[in-house]
Amino acid sequence: MPSELLRGLRLLDLTDEKGALCGKMFADLGAEVIKVEPPEGCSTRRIPPYLEDIADADHCLYSIAYHAGKKSVTANLATDDGRAIVAGLAAQSDFLVESHPLGHLDSIGLGYDALARKNPRLIYASITPFGDSGPGKDYAWADIISWAAGGQMYLMGEEGKPPLQMSLPQAGLHAGGEAAVAMMLAHYPRQIDGLGQRIVVNMQACIVWTLMNEQAMPFLHGSHLSRTGVFFGSADARRKMVYECKDGHISTLIAGGMTFGNSTKALIEWMRENGLGADWMRTKDWISWVPGVFMEMTEQDHRETEELETTIQRFMLTMTKREIYAQALKRRIFLAPVATVADIAADEQLKARDFWTAVPHDTIGRTLTFPGPFAKLTATPIGSTARAPRIGEHSDEIYRGLLGLAPERLNKLRAAGSI
Amino acid sequence: MSRFALEGVHVLDFAWVGVGPITTKYFADNGADVIRVESAARPDVLRIGPPWKDAMPGINRSQFFASFNTSKKGITLDLSKPKARELAKRMVPWADIVVESFTPKAMRNWGLDYENLRELRPDLIMLSTCMQGQTGPNALYPGFGQLMSALSGFYYISGYGPGSCTPPYGAYTDFIAPRFSAITLLAALDYRRRTGQGQYIDMSQYEAAMQNLAPALIDYFATGRVLGPRGNASARYAPHGAYRCADEDGNERWIAIAVAGDDQWRAMLTALAADSTDRRFATASARIENAAAIDEFVGSLTPVHNAHDLTAKLQAAGVAAYPVENCVDIHQDDNLEAFGFWHWLEHKEMGPSPYEGLEHRMSRTPGTLRSAAPILGQDNDEVFREMLSLSADEIEQLKKEYVIF
Repeated sequence: MPSELLRGLRLLDLTDEKGALCGKMFADLGAEVIKVEPPEGCSTRRIPPYLEDIADADHCLYSIAYHAGKKSVTANLATDDGRAIVAGLAAQSDFLVESHPLGHLDSIGLGYDALARKNPRLIYASITPFGDSGPGKDYAWADIISWAAGGQMYLMGEEGKPPLQMSLPQAGLHAGGEAAVAMMLAHYPRQIDGLGQRIVVNMQACIVWTLMNEQAMPFLHGSHLSRTGVFFGSADARRKMVYECKDGHISTLIAGGMTFGNSTKALIEWMRENGLGADWMRTKDWISWVPGVFMEMTEQDHRETEELETTIQRFMLTMTKREIYAQALKRRIFLAPVATVADIAADEQLKARDFWTAVPHDTIGRTLTFPGPFAKLTATPIGSTARAPRIGEHSDEIYRGLLGLAPERLNKLRAAGSI
Repeated sequence: MSRFALEGVHVLDFAWVGVGPITTKYFADNGADVIRVESAARPDVLRIGPPWKDAMPGINRSQFFASFNTSKKGITLDLSKPKARELAKRMVPWADIVVESFTPKAMRNWGLDYENLRELRPDLIMLSTCMQGQTGPNALYPGFGQLMSALSGFYYISGYGPGSCTPPYGAYTDFIAPRFSAITLLAALDYRRRTGQGQYIDMSQYEAAMQNLAPALIDYFATGRVLGPRGNASARYAPHGAYRCADEDGNERWIAIAVAGDDQWRAMLTALAADSTDRRFATASARIENAAAIDEFVGSLTPVHNAHDLTAKLQAAGVAAYPVENCVDIHQDDNLEAFGFWHWLEHKEMGPSPYEGLEHRMSRTPGTLRSAAPILGQDNDEVFREMLSLSADEIEQLKKEYVIF
């Protein structure tokens, strides 16, 4: 069951991959989410990879994941009837989120101004790659474009090699989450005065936000970073973040001070128990050793850091990720395995919290395992989600129930290709 | 109508580092009164995190901290002292929302957990956010966002191919989780308005981050397929990646390009003043299959082009492209400029520096960065005097006892 939190609220989802997560979040929180698709299905129904490589809408993993809990209706926005139906739904909805090319919905009478005239309560969010007024407002988009425009790509990868994106595109997810928060922010004043508003989400800005304030480096430090591969920090004070181990990689960070010193000491102690590392490592006062990433390091700092990192690398190669992580937890060392989805699926912590949730998919004749709720709430818990709908699965239910359309009318609309 | 969306909402914020403060920043920038409770006895880690004003560290010189704590007030209470905990408790009836992000045992040990605080305010909404949640064998895991990004699978799917691991920059999951915690708090606030009921929210950064990995997890459970690092290869676009352009001012320049379908492929060739009769590139599926060859081909053409000019040409032809921007570029980016993204705020010790603005804009009740982050204890006198009616002498005495510290 979805949560009771947003029960009674309705959201129309006219997004593609730029915002699919938005409706999923609302559905998890208990809102009724109606995905409006063209009769052939939204483009998100055709995003590879597919479950068992069966390339149809029911097996599209993106749809399976991010349309879960939604209802689906079809409407052909190229027809007057299709547009009228969506306008009718918007008149009875609390939220609308869309990611069409800028101005497209305005040009067909489904923009904010037109819909708000009939439903002043409507909160209407447009997800845009570059905002709604700059020279790139009409630019063609793919997820990698946001990754490049937002500065993450430049910093991912190794020197001398091309900048990188993750193997699972992320910008559309950030934007969907941002739209969801923004709409709930706008919901608060609406509960006081009954008025909705228009929201524009900027995907480029969403990625800039992932830079952890690296953006301010040019102004405060007079320099900026380039790609540093497995290292973190500036060129003259880098720290290794990733080490090879027996069956993959782990991540840890050597530093001193109140925050990191004890972790560094514990790691050194563990290596010493295994006959690795020099005496100076144990005797050094790590709590008052301040040189951090981005800070000036003496020649001795460099030498010691390098020796320590070399020792850690040798040590990690003797163990598996699982063995290393277990010890790190016990010894309170800042360390994590570079986990694969298989590692995550086997993780005892997620199991102990009953995180995984079974979602029956009668559409494909099997039950799938989903990541569970994103929060645990005492009064209004988020339970399991419903499977993603088939394209247009709820057209009849919604159009009869909400719009009061008679079966004959629905048949005519269907025959005309409007729904 | 009030000027900001959340005017009148009160948040008592015991959070630190990333996820908690970014969550409450949504509230602060939208008009809620957010009071950050900190202590010099154990400062927020970010207060000593780079970048710093003039590259010199200092407790009030970190842009890392400043950026996540705009529009908030800041007080200091050393919660290891009983008197400080009593003062904190006296503030709870004021609060609609309490947020904290310590490891799970901290608030319990101080008697500041939800069960205790709800006695002071029965309809309180309280959010605890930490790395792995309040329960389970690894609840006390000490970590930070970079490590969580490794644990959550994002490091593994970042690399040039099998065996390569080149992580995303920064504490990636710190920028996923706050949206989930913020929307949950906002929804809980609405629920309370309708029902009068508050509640407790246990957020695990790990579990929130998993939402951004969902397709790969569902796939693994169903089929055993493990998503791995595969450079910039795409199952939908080819070419798809970053390609070297002409250097500018001694800096290397790259352009990101994503091409779908035959029309875009031909448009891209025209923009690059190139042609291809290579049979491996004849159809969309063949191009995807031969992505490595196509990368080499495109990469051989782009270095004579200026990244910005080529972007304009490609976009004019309907092909998705953009320069791969560095941190200097994003400050000169016309699109971010047009959105009014950057804000220069005056910080009490750092002076003016650039802040990232909001990622969205609202037409009727727009949020904004109302003030730079507080220096440590900046609002002690005002908050303790006005909210707790302490006299100047009492405040002075509590400072002497390192309670207000």
